[in-house]
Amino acid sequence: MTLRADHVAGAFFVGFGLLVLALSTDLPTGSLSLPGSGFLPKIVAFLTIFFGAVLALRAGESRPFAAVSWDDVKHAAMVIGITAAAVALFEKLGFLTTNILLIFALLVAIERRRLLPAAAFSIGVVAVTYVLFVYVLKTPLQTGPLGF
Amino acid sequence: MESTLLSLAHGFSVALAPANVWYAFLGCLVGTLVGVLPGIGPLAGISILLPVTFGLNATQAIIMLAGIYYGSQYGGSTTSILMRIPGEASSVMTCIDGYAMAKKGRAGAALCIAAVGSWIGGTFGVLVLTVVAPPLATIALRFGPPEYTALLVLGLIFLAYMSSSSLIRTLLMACLGLLLGMIGIDNMTGHFRYSFDLAELGDGIGIVPVAVGLFGLGEILSTPSASAVKDIISPRMRDLLPTRTEWKQASMPIARGTLLGFIIGIIPGSAHIISSFLSYAVERRVSKHPEEFGKGAVAGVAGPETANNAASTGAFVPLLALGIPTSPITAVLIGALMIHGVSVGPTLVNDHPDVFWGFVASMYVGNLMLLVLNLPLVGLFVTVLRIPYAYLYPLIIMFCIIGVYEVNNSIVDVWIMLIMGVVGYALRKFDFDPAPLVLGLVIAPILEQSLRQSLIMSNGNYLIFFSRPISLSLMIFSIGLLVLAAYSFILKRADWRTKLAEVEAGETET
Repeated sequence: MTLRADHVAGAFFVGFGLLVLALSTDLPTGSLSLPGSGFLPKIVAFLTIFFGAVLALRAGESRPFAAVSWDDVKHAAMVIGITAAAVALFEKLGFLTTNILLIFALLVAIERRRLLPAAAFSIGVVAVTYVLFVYVLKTPLQTGPLGF
Repeated sequence: MESTLLSLAHGFSVALAPANVWYAFLGCLVGTLVGVLPGIGPLAGISILLPVTFGLNATQAIIMLAGIYYGSQYGGSTTSILMRIPGEASSVMTCIDGYAMAKKGRAGAALCIAAVGSWIGGTFGVLVLTVVAPPLATIALRFGPPEYTALLVLGLIFLAYMSSSSLIRTLLMACLGLLLGMIGIDNMTGHFRYSFDLAELGDGIGIVPVAVGLFGLGEILSTPSASAVKDIISPRMRDLLPTRTEWKQASMPIARGTLLGFIIGIIPGSAHIISSFLSYAVERRVSKHPEEFGKGAVAGVAGPETANNAASTGAFVPLLALGIPTSPITAVLIGALMIHGVSVGPTLVNDHPDVFWGFVASMYVGNLMLLVLNLPLVGLFVTVLRIPYAYLYPLIIMFCIIGVYEVNNSIVDVWIMLIMGVVGYALRKFDFDPAPLVLGLVIAPILEQSLRQSLIMSNGNYLIFFSRPISLSLMIFSIGLLVLAAYSFILKRADWRTKLAEVEAGETET
């Protein structure tokens, strides 16, 4: 049997529904006349399992899992990695420093741009954005240890 | 009627205040850019720019955000016609004949017809909204928990029925959204649900991080810069005016698109996307020369572009009259008003007449502004399209982070956005449309509360939904749709939704 995309997707949703049910054990279901906090989540979790199973059962109509293209996964992983690093630093370094580093890193590490133009672009656009938000739109941005 | 006209006149006095005109202009301009740029749709655009409105009053905020919404519908046509890339999903159909017209040297005419059609569709929508919304709000005051439950159930079923992806996929996305929407403190019992000892999750997961992650970041992750196409046809200014024959060919499709779009807009779901496809299908069916479709038929541009703008305006009817979001975009707009202390619902027209009528009047102004702006500035928008994608997406990521962080000053929200970006990337790989997920997230608290209140009211009797006239009608409608969906499902009939999925798949591949 060929493993198809919907087999994988359906199995994921069945598993997810089961996980929600497992996490809901401490939530009271209540009764029909007085539904508890677990009432609707459990119904929706059961529906997720049901629809997931139907998706997997009808997977014959979907394309083979091997045909799903993952050509862009390296790009996606690098963008996520660099952005995650920026998010981790955001409250410590503030808006200006973090975003200059973020844009510079994306341009140099992923897009292979030369250092000088990448640095000029990152500093320029972040500075313009800062002025636009803070002085024109009066929206305060996260400050770093140096006060900006 | 007289009181409506008086109220509208008051609305114009609000909308034409210089500051409000400025924010309408800003919204329209930014919205057009959002629509023009591939990879950042109206939902992500509005979410990202939400913090910018914090310094404004509620009227200015909604005027600007709505300008972004309908501006993006105008802007989406530019990339579709000049590059064969839909700036956002509702412009998919415009790509087919719009680009074919451009290749024949009629890019300017296609842009002009799209802009005029959009203006007519949008303005007609506002006219009907002006007349319909206030009386509808009066009726909605009679709604109790069973009616709201029935209406929301109908919304979910309608969304699933009308969705371009399969019924099961849409329902799965809606379930996922509902589950995400139940994270946090249960309002009725005070229980913490699925918050994993994170205090920030006590208030639940916000719409903004989910929407920006799924639609903004998710799109960037699945678009490496090397694959971004940059083959742009530049229209000449002197070619902007269509010929008399082209106007004649466009007139009836514009009229049909206006009516069709507005009616579909009122119904829950991704109305602007559905309306453009249906309009294209209708035009091809009624045309005396269906063989011209796909080769530069004027009706293939005029109908869908008009319909998606009329639908965008139609979506404001349930929003303003009932306080019910019929799409993720209107849900974000409700969130924006709530941030400003304005609760949207049947009482909005009486409690905040400045906001209601100022907003309605600003839509007349905004639609006119877009018509005047779009054609002369087409050169500017083409220039924006020439910015290399490698430089563009880092900027979009920066705006995603600012947009999400500024709403609650919460870094947890930014992490949620990042996770949702990965989820959005995975969903695209498996052909899921994330829009129903956001809608599920938005309606989860209202649905849960109204369902539980209904059951408490009736002492656990489900028949309460069938014993009150309004909820009974809504439930019968829902059951009818389910029967229709099951019928198509069993017969595996290739209806218009299947065809839409095929067209969208074709567009993605090219």
